[in-house]
Amino acid sequence: MDFSTLTINQIRQGLLDKKFTSVEIVNFFLDRIKKIDPQIKAFITITDEFALNQANILDEKIKKGESIGKLAGSIMAVKDIYLTKDIQTTSSSQVLNGYIPQYSSTVYQRLIDEDAILIGKTNTDVFAFGASTESSGYFTTKNPWNLEMVPGGSSGGSAAAVATNLCHFALGTDTGGSIRQPSSLCSVSGLKPTYGRNSRYGITAMASSFDCPGVFGNNIEDIALVTEITAGKDIHDTTSVDNKVPSYSQNLNKVNLKGLKIGLPKEYFTGAIDPEVKEKVLAAAKEFEKQGATLVDISLPNTDLGIAVYYILIPSEISANMARYDGIRFGQAVTDATDIISYYMQTRGKFMEPEVKRRILIGTYALSSGYYDAYYTKAAKVRTIIKKEFTDALKNIDVILAPCSPTPAWKIGEKVNDPLKMYLADVYTVCINVAGVPGLALPCGLNSQNLPIGFQLIGNFFEEEKLLSLGHQFQQFTDFHTKKPQL
Amino acid sequence: MSSQKISMAELEYIAKLARINLSESEKTTFLPQLESVIEYFDILNKVDTSNIEPTFRVNDQSNVFHSDEIKESLPVDLALSTATRTKDNYFVVTATIKK
Repeated sequence: MDFSTLTINQIRQGLLDKKFTSVEIVNFFLDRIKKIDPQIKAFITITDEFALNQANILDEKIKKGESIGKLAGSIMAVKDIYLTKDIQTTSSSQVLNGYIPQYSSTVYQRLIDEDAILIGKTNTDVFAFGASTESSGYFTTKNPWNLEMVPGGSSGGSAAAVATNLCHFALGTDTGGSIRQPSSLCSVSGLKPTYGRNSRYGITAMASSFDCPGVFGNNIEDIALVTEITAGKDIHDTTSVDNKVPSYSQNLNKVNLKGLKIGLPKEYFTGAIDPEVKEKVLAAAKEFEKQGATLVDISLPNTDLGIAVYYILIPSEISANMARYDGIRFGQAVTDATDIISYYMQTRGKFMEPEVKRRILIGTYALSSGYYDAYYTKAAKVRTIIKKEFTDALKNIDVILAPCSPTPAWKIGEKVNDPLKMYLADVYTVCINVAGVPGLALPCGLNSQNLPIGFQLIGNFFEEEKLLSLGHQFQQFTDFHTKKPQL
Repeated sequence: MSSQKISMAELEYIAKLARINLSESEKTTFLPQLESVIEYFDILNKVDTSNIEPTFRVNDQSNVFHSDEIKESLPVDLALSTATRTKDNYFVVTATIKK
């Protein structure tokens, strides 16, 4: 039986109806991973024993007639920056090679508590710093639609795993586009929630005022189900908010498309955009129009400042967050240093990957005496302008529709020697993070080279319910999300 | 500001502040890369921000408290399980002062 095409609810129902067992599901996915993962390299760690153990416990519960979780038997892959108790967590860095966390991240634990089964930890750009998985301290994940291309990033391993049905859903994080951009490049759906909707606790920190944990899935129904479990206040993350979590999965048809105003920001459809991306994304907008929505041209005039604001503020936060990797409490360390300063300098010099060093250096520069006001404070002020631009625009329209990436996937190696070029790949995603609002990425077709194209729906703070409802309805009158790469 | 955004001496100083040893080849690779990134930041100079307050967090929360209850924490051996060196329930570090 092919378990990979079933939804989370179908898996759970099948288990309750005793049509199959959790062990059968796990073995199916382990076989599939063995066959497919060597080609795409989505996983850093495959948690076969852990998964089989979970499956056995779950099957036992079902046999005894005990109640089971909402995600019972569904297979999950987790970006390797989420701490998983007793299971190696590397953040795709040599710094944390061999690191076995003593506790688990909240978002992951909430899913485990609902009987989701962990099949493995996925590759990412090192500490999530990147847009292609190429900065990983281990290997580059391949785009399953064309193995010479990047899957996008940073959560490229999770996106590739969902695209190839190596799991039912996968966790990622989106600090500047790291869920939406790889979703777009791999043809899967992915939600970057409002900042504070999901707890950041137990996820290795990149930029604390930006980081957003979120989920990739094959369809919006699954994403809604997972998000209503992960979302909500966590005492361990003071920036998580206690706004009520709606029953996303129950309200997927709630928003009426008739008369809905969808804003198309002109800055996202001009300049460096690939013509085929523009065409497909506008065609997706037309699909909503056919259902009765109105398309409105809008302007977000400060979009071109997003990259500069982002790449000042996030390296600044990174340079502070990365100070914890001192080689004392965790992580690899040199053994021959004679004093503490050389211990730090040699340890960090030896084990940190180039992109980690670059970002710490940029951040340290921006925060250093003499430059602080010119860079950090200036960028924080422009952040205010960009945030207001989004909330103002959303007063007159219901939702914004835009591409996730100016181009489809690019060739592995093409941008690695030019960090600025790589940073500019985030141009359509970063402003959403700068503002803190939610964005939902959805597939909208393939280009002439058979490479996926995606778009995002952007809402106001805590409007995940609206985005998911629109995304779900889009997936009822189109079938882009059902397209899968041939491997 | 001068046309050169960051000099080699400045890069070395920043690396020292950040506690990162850089090899000579890393320095020569990073310098032009950082230069082009920092130069790009000039795009912000065109915006007048004189009457704008900075945003450091996007939601309105401040002073989040929770009740002061004693809860179970990580046992010492587990807390030390990922340390490079330990002794008598402490982390061991290289000398911080000269003998």
